[in-house]
Amino acid sequence: MERYKIAVMHGPNLNMLGKREIGIYGGNTLEQINSQIEQEAIRLGVSAGFFQSNLEGAIIDHIHGCAGKIDGILINAGAFTHYSIALRDAIAAVKLPTVEVHISNIFKRESFRHFSIIAPVCRGQICGFGSYSYILGLRALIGILESQEME
Amino acid sequence: MNRFLVISGPNLNLLGTRKVSIYKESTLEEIHMRLRQKAAELGVEVDCEQYNSEGAIIDRMQQVPGNYAGVILNAGALAHYSYALRSAIGTMLVPCVEVFISNVHAREEFRHTSVIADVCVGTIAGFGANSYVLALEALVYLVGR
Repeated sequence: MERYKIAVMHGPNLNMLGKREIGIYGGNTLEQINSQIEQEAIRLGVSAGFFQSNLEGAIIDHIHGCAGKIDGILINAGAFTHYSIALRDAIAAVKLPTVEVHISNIFKRESFRHFSIIAPVCRGQICGFGSYSYILGLRALIGILESQEME
Repeated sequence: MNRFLVISGPNLNLLGTRKVSIYKESTLEEIHMRLRQKAAELGVEVDCEQYNSEGAIIDRMQQVPGNYAGVILNAGALAHYSYALRSAIGTMLVPCVEVFISNVHAREEFRHTSVIADVCVGTIAGFGANSYVLALEALVYLVGR
């Protein structure tokens, strides 16, 4: 029996990973990244479910569906990070510990990417380590859940 | 065996003795102990240091080339305004990971900007003492043992 259930979510255009802008996002496909996360989840004794959508509303529905069923959320919201107030409200509404990750170092890129509208409702942010950002993000999330148990 | 330098900036010597809700409960010495433990697990070495003065951090950074394979930097408040620190990061010639104990984005607006973030490989913020441990894992992933 897994200790925790984690929902892993990828936002718009991340289905194109490994196919476009490899210089920024690396050569791994989303399937390869999900399989790396899955392996790390098994190692940590947790279960991970995966979801990707290009539709803001579909991600919001998915976040709402996590309430009461999932222990924590690992999210790469892609470009929605920088402007989706609706996504921010959804994360705040379900009150689940959420960790924000980015493949690239968003602070090295265009200035509109320096601001994350979801960061204040997430527990923390990890960016710049390629697909390894997700692995670090999963470990960070498990750390949060373990420390909540001790409280 | 790779050796990494961990630098904490101003006021971080007071960890565990001030605003507990933001900074969690660990003291800096406890964080350093966790880092040494993690380093032993990973088969690398860490030197953990703290400075309240900007110039001392810059002096230390200038000694990095040839001595360290990577740097973990919690610049504290300096992250938000020290262009001198930013320039010093560029002189190190090894990857630097920016860390914060708290989620800086959930705090005062002046903490939302980091003038060093874009000269670092990446940022890890919001996970308490674990931010440092994750940064060490990130460096070992990037440059190896």
